[in-house]
Amino acid sequence: MTSGPPIDERVGLWWRRPETRGIFLIWVVLTVALVFFSFIPARIMGPTASPTKHAVELTMTVFTLAASPVAAFVWAIAIYSLIKWRHRGVGPPTEDGPPIRGNNLATGLWMLVSSVLCVFLLIWGLAEIEAVAAPERSANALIVNVTGQQWVWTFSYPQDGNVESDQLYLPLNRPVIFHVTSEDVIHAFWVVQMGIKVDANPGETTKTSVLPDKLGVFDVRCAELCGLLHADMETNAHVVSKADFATWIQANGGHV
Amino acid sequence: MSEAMVQFGGRAPAHPVGGGIMRRLNLGTAVAGGLILGYVAWLISHHFLAGADDPMVQNQVVTITLAGWAFGFMIGIGAMRGPICWLLGRDQSHEDEMFAAGKDQGVGRYFRFTTDHKVVGIQYLVLTMVLLGIGGTLAMMIRTDLVTPNSGFLGPQTYNAVVGLHGLTMIIATIIMVTGPFGNFIVPIMIGARDMAFPRLNALSFWLLVAFAPVLYSAAFLGGIPTGWTGYAPLSDQGPPGMDSYLMAIIIFAVSTAIAGANITATILTMRARGMTWNRTPIFVWGVLASVGLAIPAFPMFMGAMVYLGMDRTVGANFYVASGGGNPWLYENLFWLMGHPEVYVILIPAVAALMELTTVFARKPLFSYNVAVLGIVGIVGLSMMVWAHHIFTSGWAPELNGAFMLTTELISIPTGLLFFVIIGTIWRGKVWTTLPMMCTYAMLWNFIIGGVTGIYLSDVPLDYDLHGNMFVTAHFHYTLMGAGLTGAIGALMYWFPKMTGKMLHHTSALWSFWLVQIGFQVTFMGMFAVGLAGQPRRVEHYDNTFAVGNMVSTIGAYTIGLGMLLLLYAVISSWRHGPIAPANPWGGKTLEWAVPNPIPLENFEVLPVVIADPYGYGEGDFSIPHTSEPREDVVVGAQLSPAGAVEADSS
Amino acid sequence: MTNIETAVTIGDPDLHLEDPNVIGRRWRAGVALLILADAAFVATLLFAYFYLRGLNTSNAWLLHGQATAAIWVSWALAGGAVLSAVIFGQARRSIQAGNEAGFVAGALVALLVLVADTVGQVIQLTSFPFGVASSAYSSVVYTIAGANLYHLLLTIFIAIAMWNRGRLHIYSKSSNWQVRVAEMWWNWIAIAAVLTAFATSFIASPASGH
Repeated sequence: MTSGPPIDERVGLWWRRPETRGIFLIWVVLTVALVFFSFIPARIMGPTASPTKHAVELTMTVFTLAASPVAAFVWAIAIYSLIKWRHRGVGPPTEDGPPIRGNNLATGLWMLVSSVLCVFLLIWGLAEIEAVAAPERSANALIVNVTGQQWVWTFSYPQDGNVESDQLYLPLNRPVIFHVTSEDVIHAFWVVQMGIKVDANPGETTKTSVLPDKLGVFDVRCAELCGLLHADMETNAHVVSKADFATWIQANGGHV
Repeated sequence: MSEAMVQFGGRAPAHPVGGGIMRRLNLGTAVAGGLILGYVAWLISHHFLAGADDPMVQNQVVTITLAGWAFGFMIGIGAMRGPICWLLGRDQSHEDEMFAAGKDQGVGRYFRFTTDHKVVGIQYLVLTMVLLGIGGTLAMMIRTDLVTPNSGFLGPQTYNAVVGLHGLTMIIATIIMVTGPFGNFIVPIMIGARDMAFPRLNALSFWLLVAFAPVLYSAAFLGGIPTGWTGYAPLSDQGPPGMDSYLMAIIIFAVSTAIAGANITATILTMRARGMTWNRTPIFVWGVLASVGLAIPAFPMFMGAMVYLGMDRTVGANFYVASGGGNPWLYENLFWLMGHPEVYVILIPAVAALMELTTVFARKPLFSYNVAVLGIVGIVGLSMMVWAHHIFTSGWAPELNGAFMLTTELISIPTGLLFFVIIGTIWRGKVWTTLPMMCTYAMLWNFIIGGVTGIYLSDVPLDYDLHGNMFVTAHFHYTLMGAGLTGAIGALMYWFPKMTGKMLHHTSALWSFWLVQIGFQVTFMGMFAVGLAGQPRRVEHYDNTFAVGNMVSTIGAYTIGLGMLLLLYAVISSWRHGPIAPANPWGGKTLEWAVPNPIPLENFEVLPVVIADPYGYGEGDFSIPHTSEPREDVVVGAQLSPAGAVEADSS
Repeated sequence: MTNIETAVTIGDPDLHLEDPNVIGRRWRAGVALLILADAAFVATLLFAYFYLRGLNTSNAWLLHGQATAAIWVSWALAGGAVLSAVIFGQARRSIQAGNEAGFVAGALVALLVLVADTVGQVIQLTSFPFGVASSAYSSVVYTIAGANLYHLLLTIFIAIAMWNRGRLHIYSKSSNWQVRVAEMWWNWIAIAAVLTAFATSFIASPASGH
C-alpha cells in the first residue's frame, strides 16, 4: 500500500475505469429516485394528531433517506453486473473471472459506513424515545384508565369522578397518561393517528402517554390478536376542546 | 474382526441378508401403530377421566391421544428398535446397517426408517414441499377472505384458525427448507464424508416430523389454532383443543430439531475430510452449521413454553394465568428467546446457499471469505440478544427497550457484511445468469427491502406505531420469503441435478421465477401500504380505507400461487423424465460435484483429502477438484454445457 | 496461490471401518450438543421460577399461608443423583484400567442408587403439601420435579444398558467410548438436579412485601 503511486493519482486511475463511472451513474439515478420515494411512506401514514406521530413519521422519512444511498449502491452494482459483466451465449462461461479474494480498503470502508449509520440510528432513536416520553413527565396530565376485554375497550377518568365510557374523549393540548390493563387476554391499545400503542396485559398495568394536538375523531384499534372478534375491537378517540371535554364529563355524571 | 466390530458386540448376524425386524416395518406399520396406540390412549383416557364436559378433561384426552399417536407411529416405523437392542447388547451387524442404509431397496427405502443421508435429504425435500403447499393453500384462503373489506368468505372463526395454521406451517417449512433437504443431502458430501455422524438419529429426526404433521393438522378438526402462530397466552390457555394439537406438535418438532441440530453440528465438527480446515470449509457448510447450532438452544425454550402451556391447559397450572400468580410476559419472553434466533435459523443457510452458488456462477472466489464467516458468526452471536424487540409494546421492561434497540441495530452490521460479500463476489465476475443465480439477484432486491424495514421496526417509537399491523407482516415476508424462500428455491435449482440426477426444465422454472417474484412484490408492497395506513394484523375484515391495498395484495398472492404451481410442475416433470444431468453441470468446485451421478451409497469410494478451498476460480485451469476415482463422468462434467446435458440424455 | 488441480488428493482407502476413538469423539460431540439442548430446557425452568417469583403477579406467587415444599428433600434427591454419577465415574475409571468386573459392579451400584433416587422423586412428587394449581410457585415446583423424574428415568435406561453391556463383555480397556458418553449425560443430570434444588431453595418472593 505504501509503495504505490500517490493517492490522487490512484483515485484518478480508479475513476477512469469504465465500471466506476457506470456504477456511479446508476447509483446517482437510483439514489435520487429513492430520495423522492422517501417522502411517500409518511404520506401514506396520513395526517398526525400528536407530536408522537409526527416524530414517528419524521423517523420513517429520515431512515428511508439514510437507507437510500446504501440500497442504491447494492442495486447499482447488481444492475451494472447484469448489463456489463453478464456472460452471454449458450453454455457456461469459457473463462473465469479475476481471482479477487478480498479488498481490505473496501471492507474497511463498508464497515465504517455501516457502523456510522448504526450509531446515527441509535442516537436518533434514543433522542426520539426521550421526546415521545415527554407527556409522561407532565404535572397536570390527564389520567385515563384503559381496560381491554373481549372485545371492547372501556375508558375511565379517575381524576374526574371515575366517568366510564366506551368512547375515548380527550381534551386538546393536554398531556394524557394511559394506564392500560386487561380483564382476560392480551390486547394492544392503539390510537392510530397519535402513534401510540401498548399492550393490555391481564394482571399488569402498562403505561403510555401522548399529547393530542389536533381536534377530530380518530381510530382506536386492538393490535394484538385477542380471539374471535379481534377485528371488531375498535372504537373512536374524540379530541375536543377543553370546554367541550368538561361538558362531556359533566353530562356523564362526573366533575372536572 | 476389527475393533469397530468388537464395539458392536461382535455377533454374527441372525439373518444372512440383514435387516431383522426392520424388514417388516415401514410407513404402513407406522401409521397402523400410531392409529392403534392413539385409539388405545383415547379409549383409556376417555374412560378413566371423569367429566367429559369439562374443557380441561377434553384437553387431557386430546393431549394423551396425540401422544399415543406419536409414540405408536415411532414404534411402528422402528425407531425404538435401536435403543432396545442396544440395551440388550445386541448390536447391529454390518448387513443390518447396510439394510438400514437402504441398500438395494429401490423406492421402498423412502418409506422406511432409512439411515442414508441422501434418502433423508430427499425425504425432507418432499416433506418441505408438501408443507409449503399446505401453507400456501392456506395463504390463498386468507388472501381470498381479504379481497374485499367484508367478504365473509371464511368468517372470523375459520379465519383465525387458518391464520394460525398458515403461520405455523410456514415457519416449520422454512426452518427445515434448507438445512433439511440440502443440509442432509449435500453437506456430508460437501465435507467429504460417507454419511452423517449419527445416521439413525438422522432418520429419527425426519420420521418425528412425519409423526408431527398429523398432530399439527388435527388442530383443523379440533377448533383450529385461533391464536396466530405465536400462540400467546392466555389466549392459548382459553383456546379450543386445537391448541393441544399445537403444543404437542411443537414439542415433537422441538425434539426433532434438537436431534437434527446435534447430528448436523457433530457431522460438520468431526467429519470434515482430512485437510478441510475451517478456512477451507465451503461457506454453505458454515451457514448450515450456524443455523442448526443456533437451533439447538433455541427450540428447547419453545418446548419449555409449550410444556407450561400444556400444564396450564390440562392440570390447571398457573404459568400464564395472572390471577394465579402466572404471567403472560413469561410466555412472550420464552417464545421470542426462540423466535428471534429462529429467524436467522431460517435466513442464514438460505443466504449461505446463495453465496455458495454465486461463486460458481460469477466464476470468482468468494469475496472476503473471512468477512463472510465473520458476518455469519456475528449474526449468531447477536441473535440471542435481540429477542425483546418483538415485545417493545408489551410493557414488560420499558427501560430495557433502548438496550434492545441497540443490539437490534448492531445486527445490521454483520447482516450488511453478507451483502458486501455477495456484491463483491459478483464484482467483475463472468456472471452466468442461470436460474439459481437469478435467485441471488432477487434476494439482493428483497432482502434490502426486508432489512431496511427491519431497521424501522428496531426504532422503539416507530415500532410502537407499526407493531402488530400489516407493515410487520409485509416486513417479515420480505425477509423469510423474499430472502429465505428465494434462497431455498435457488438452492433447489442449483442442486437439483445432483439430488435427482435430472436437469430442471428451464422454461417452466423461468416462468415460475418471474411469476413468483413479481407477484411477491405486488402482494407485499400492497401490504406495506395498508400497514402504514393503519390496518392491524390478523383481522378478518377491515375498514374501507384499506380496500385498494388489500385488493392489490390478493391479486399478487394469486400470482405467487400460480408461479408456485408452475414450479411444482417443473420439479415433478423434470424429476420424472427430465434430461439426465451430468455430474457437474455448473462447473462447481465443491466436493459434491466430484461424485458421480447417481451417487454411490457411501458417496466416496476413497475418502478425499482437501488441500485448498473450493473457490480457486481464475487461479488455475478450469477444472474441478477430483478424487482418485477413475470416473469418466467426473472429468467430463467440468466441461459440460447444457448442450452436453442433452447429449447425455439422448445417449 | 494453490494448484487447483490438486485441491483434492487421494485419501486413505481403508477408512470404511473406523477407529473406535474416532467414533467416540464424534459421539461425545453429539451428546454434548444434546446436553446443550436439554440445558436450554432446564434454563427455561429456572427462568420461569425466578421470573414468576420476581413478578409476584396478583400477589399470587404463593397463596397466603400456603404450605411449601421441604427444601431438604430436593437437596437429598440432588445428592442421590450426584452420588450415582460419582459411582459411575469410578466404574468408568475401572473399565479404562481394564477392570471389567469393577465396571459391572460399579454400574450396578450406580443404577441401584439411581433407582432409589427415582423412588424418592416419585414420593416427593406425590406428597407435595399443595396441588399443582394452588399458585404459580406450586406449578413451577411440580414441573421441576417432573423434569427431574424424566431425567432420572432416561438415565435408568442408560444405566441398565451400561450394566448389561458390561456384563456381556462389550466394553474393554481399549473400547469404552460409550461409557464415557454415558458418563457425560450422567454428570449433566446430577448438575441439573443441583441447579433446580438450588433454585427451589428460594421460596418467598422478594416482591411480596407490599
